[in-house]
Amino acid sequence: MLAALGAAIAKDLRLLGRDRAGLVFLSLAPVLVITVAGFSLAGLFGAAPGGTSAYVLPVADEDGGRLGRALRSGLAGEPGIEVRPVANRDAARALVRGGVAGTALVIPPGVSAALLDGQPASLLLYTDPVKYLEVANVRALVQEARRRVEASAHSRARHRLVEARHGARAARRRFERSARALRQAVDGLAAQLAAARTDTERRLAALRSETDAALRAAAARRAAAARARLAAELAPLHQFLDDLTARQRAFADWLTEARARAGRFADRLPPPPAPPSVPPAVAALAAADAKTLAERLLPAEETALEVPHVTLPPPPSLPALDFPASPELPAARLPGSLDVVEASVTGAPARLNAFDQNVPGFSVTFLLLGMLLGVSLGLLDERDWGTLARLRAMPAPFAATLVAKLLARFLVGLVQMIALFAVGRLVFGVSLGPEPWALLLPTAGIVFAATAFGLVVAGMARSRDAVLPVGSIAIVTMAAAGGCWWPLELEPAWMRQAALALPTTWAMRAYNDLMIRREYLAAAFEPTAVLLAYGAAYLLLGLVLFRRHTLGHV
Amino acid sequence: MRAAIAVEGIVKRYGSRVALAGVTVDVGPGEIVGLLGPNGAGKSTLLSILATVLVADAGTATVAGHRLPAQARAARHVLGLVPQQTAVYPTLTAAENLRFFARMQGLDGTAAAAAARRALALIGLEARADEPVWRFSGGMRRRLNLACGVLHEPRVLLLDEPTVGVDPQSRERIFAAVEALARAGAAILYSTHDMEEAQRLAGRIVLLDRGHIAAAGTGAELVAAARLTPRLHLRTTRALRGDWLANVSGARALDGTGSEALVEITETAGVAGVLRAAADAGGDVLELVLHRPSLADVFFALTGHGLRDDESPAAAAR
Repeated sequence: MLAALGAAIAKDLRLLGRDRAGLVFLSLAPVLVITVAGFSLAGLFGAAPGGTSAYVLPVADEDGGRLGRALRSGLAGEPGIEVRPVANRDAARALVRGGVAGTALVIPPGVSAALLDGQPASLLLYTDPVKYLEVANVRALVQEARRRVEASAHSRARHRLVEARHGARAARRRFERSARALRQAVDGLAAQLAAARTDTERRLAALRSETDAALRAAAARRAAAARARLAAELAPLHQFLDDLTARQRAFADWLTEARARAGRFADRLPPPPAPPSVPPAVAALAAADAKTLAERLLPAEETALEVPHVTLPPPPSLPALDFPASPELPAARLPGSLDVVEASVTGAPARLNAFDQNVPGFSVTFLLLGMLLGVSLGLLDERDWGTLARLRAMPAPFAATLVAKLLARFLVGLVQMIALFAVGRLVFGVSLGPEPWALLLPTAGIVFAATAFGLVVAGMARSRDAVLPVGSIAIVTMAAAGGCWWPLELEPAWMRQAALALPTTWAMRAYNDLMIRREYLAAAFEPTAVLLAYGAAYLLLGLVLFRRHTLGHV
Repeated sequence: MRAAIAVEGIVKRYGSRVALAGVTVDVGPGEIVGLLGPNGAGKSTLLSILATVLVADAGTATVAGHRLPAQARAARHVLGLVPQQTAVYPTLTAAENLRFFARMQGLDGTAAAAAARRALALIGLEARADEPVWRFSGGMRRRLNLACGVLHEPRVLLLDEPTVGVDPQSRERIFAAVEALARAGAAILYSTHDMEEAQRLAGRIVLLDRGHIAAAGTGAELVAAARLTPRLHLRTTRALRGDWLANVSGARALDGTGSEALVEITETAGVAGVLRAAADAGGDVLELVLHRPSLADVFFALTGHGLRDDESPAAAAR
């Protein structure tokens, strides 16, 4: 059992060892993929993004102020960037549109002044959205430079602010000391005023009592004098009235006696004359005692003379010591914020839909798979089946047969690409650009080139088994290095130059221009022409190789 | 009668190796000529030149009066090729294959369809016309392969080992079709390894070896020309003594071990004398086999028994 197992393993290893195509596929193909991917993606893993050359960054300083100088100075120190001063934003934009640079920085007029004034301001970064790695790298460096400039300005402003705060704190402490002293003084003055008022009120009360007593004594004296004088004045009256009264009683007594003496003739006696009556006023006057009369006759004010009440005026109000909490800080403005606004040079969105890159890229990859393997395997199959020999013995020109085969594949490839782009549009919302039908140009070009390259592979691969390694190496190289799997800008500069020899590079350039940069038909002319030229060259080479290597074996 | 296929002094080289060294062959209308030879003899090369797929380095070749390669295009209208491979498209149906090749022969749509029907009937595949070829057995594919070559009723038919690997029934059907085409007037050059097949079909046989014509003629002529004699194989009850054939004229012992003996005789009439001699020598004959000279004997006599693995064009290409 083990012996059989060992023999079977040995047999399979021997088979593999003798399968040259398989060995190439196992060894050379992955090495090539690793090489291409490694060089292409080096930028993602810390290698110099631009390879041996730095990114060109046009800088249009329309401000001409401190900010521009600081930014240029900061960016000039970045090894990954070659600052290229340009006159204005139009020149900067032209360099980006022309593909010289992936980004361009514009420092708009008035930015420095706005910042110093504490106003927000913006820098303008023109971008080519296709070169998003370059854009990302430059954006990061510009942001870093901006951050440094901003940080420096903030630092200076903070320093000034700190100094101002120190001064303000000292002034505040002086102010607070003065305020406390003043408050204490004012508080003392209030106490003094209260004491003075109390003393004044006490003195006033005493004075009032004394005055009142003096007035009362004076009034009593005046009343007594008036009573005495009144009594003296009324004494004759009293005398008279007393005399009158006595006389009236004497007359009454007399009369009574007269009547009594008149006996029975008393009634005949005539009524005596009525004595004069005393006027009531006189009677009241006479009846009143001197005191009452004096009180009645003396003016009330003289009898109830009051000391005028003296109301002290309120003490003068002390000024309210409403001290502000602290004196105003001296004005110290921070510089305004500075941001970077991005704008695509073609008016396309600065952020791209990843499918705008991936849909054409992988469509081209699978186109290559279909065309290279389809055309080459199809032709080799025909050779192996013997149908090529049969067709060559038939009246139809063999070239026409071959062209028909390639044309059929071309149509299939065209339909495949259109279908994939339609799926990309419907499912992933990829942009088809302002003129979607313009995509047909590079599509026709790359399908033609891929079809013709299939003939080259068919001519190079001696057998069906050889197609896989030859085809896979060709497909991987063309797709990877040509920007189908990742943007060309990821690749080092030398690789980007080398990739111009691949039709995929031109196809992706056209797709990027039309779909991502939103450019118009004219942008597709040059890449399509190159693709057609490549296709024609491949067709010629493929025919030569196919005739020499493949048909020779029929 | 003017030959439909006329080859004279054809030379073809692959690098330093000479595949055909001045071969001259002709085939008349309605004639089937068998092309025999070991691997690397030049059979396929000769057929490829006649099929206008290869160009000879020297010599002349005409097909139905069209000189090759100058008039190759005209020749292609009248020649049919049945390659050694089953040169059909596996994923197409039989009818689709036939219609396609008919169109490539220059027939219009209607004529192509009619030709396809005729060809299907010729090879007995009408019932399977609409099945993809990959479902066919080897014999069916071989028949279809033949049909694709005769769609346009060619005046010249080149067949390169058309019955390799087929079942007897299919072989018979192919033979019948080839014979029918010959009867219809086609000149047929039939390349094969199979001597029996060649003898069965071919009026004449051309035996190629290392790019030269080793022999040509009818089967009987080839056998006669090879001067081969019949042989007797005897098995007796006991071993015969060494001189037991001394008194038999026209007989010679070739080999003898124990009770078996191989005897060459000049004519079959000598068999009785050999039997008598064996009996006289005390050996009762238990078994007797008479082997008459055949085309295969001629083939081996002319080409030897050595293997020719390194003489094919493919080997030369290596």
